Amino acid sequence: MTNRVLPVVHNDRESEARTPSQPLLILPSEARDAFDPMPVLPPVSPREADLTRIAPGRPRASGDAIVVTGRILDEDRRPVRRSVLEIWNANTRGRYSHIRDLANPAPLDPNFYGFGRATTDDDGVYRIRTIKPGPYIARTDIGWWRPPHVHFSLLGGGVRLVTQMYFPNEPLNEKDYIHMTVPADERSRTIASAVQPDVFQFDLVVRGRFQNFV
Amino acid sequence: MTIFTPEATLGPFYPGVFALEQMPHDLSRVTPILAHRPQGRPIRVSGRFLDALGMPVPSLIVEFWQANAHGRYRHPLDQSGRPLDPQFDGFARVRTDDDGAYTFATIMPGARGARAPHLRLTIFASGIDRLVTQIFFDEEPLNETDPVLCAVKDPDVRRRLVAKKTGDAEFTLDIVMRGHNETPFFDDWAR
Ligand SMILES: [Fe+2]
Repeated sequence: MTNRVLPVVHNDRESEARTPSQPLLILPSEARDAFDPMPVLPPVSPREADLTRIAPGRPRASGDAIVVTGRILDEDRRPVRRSVLEIWNANTRGRYSHIRDLANPAPLDPNFYGFGRATTDDDGVYRIRTIKPGPYIARTDIGWWRPPHVHFSLLGGGVRLVTQMYFPNEPLNEKDYIHMTVPADERSRTIASAVQPDVFQFDLVVRGRFQNFV
Repeated sequence: MTIFTPEATLGPFYPGVFALEQMPHDLSRVTPILAHRPQGRPIRVSGRFLDALGMPVPSLIVEFWQANAHGRYRHPLDQSGRPLDPQFDGFARVRTDDDGAYTFATIMPGARGARAPHLRLTIFASGIDRLVTQIFFDEEPLNETDPVLCAVKDPDVRRRLVAKKTGDAEFTLDIVMRGHNETPFFDDWAR
């Protein structure tokens, strides 16, 4: 077995400074046969799955409202149940509501915070409503634009995964250094399919469930 | 063959509200002014996350997962028969501040067979995908034989996983993500 060396994202200064240079260590077998974190998570309100309104009765955020839905399975094709999904994305103009998104000249949308949560059901299915994010420039000096994408973080139910979902037929997808770090034959796994013009399906298959170390 | 969903970085704009409000971050107590307490010895572990240039890594998310004072994990696959602690779940999420500093208040995890007391860390930040490692504690006799510590052959590198005792209940450890004094990280996918 060869030890993995984590890839550095080209032209990404944080990746260059923060990615370990040494190969990852293989865990000894006597410490490998146990489990992933299985946290007792605070409850998630169903309202949190709708990012298109910051509160009930408020105006809808600008841009195209979309549904992102899918099924989360483990490597044995079992549904991952009662896992908490955190999702966040930029607004229709490509601006995050994050206090650090300062360099971005695009306007904030007063009706869009851009983050929410959902829980998977007994079939491992989640469903969220959000605004289709706009692209944004990651580095002006080299003209690196990030394609529209939605961030996913999955925790609980014996899994831990952070990933990004891309949209189909976006020319920027093939020019994005972060997306290009994913091996070519796995890239389609991070692109949602448009099952209707405003409904995107994004299924996830998570590795390592119950195979983590003690 | 199953094709897995590839991992990606958290990016620079992970919503602070997820880290700061919606997950447990102090495991040394249940809630303010409640007499119930987790069993075991309260401790604080603190330090900084540093990059290849020795610069702090702010807004980094580190998740801790640990056994209770008896060495029991709150997990359905833990069949060890050790007691559960109603006041202790063992999961916390902590975010580094602008100086890359973290502080984690918890109780000293129990030993578990050959395993020395330790914390399991899952680390996320802009620029990296998920990283995992473990933190051990100074002066624990089982450190000498712990299989994970012993898997790190070079004693100088091994020391980078052992938090130094700096007070009765205080431990400190810096995590260096890359470069000189780089912390060892593990592959929890390898079989
Ligand atoms: Fe992003």
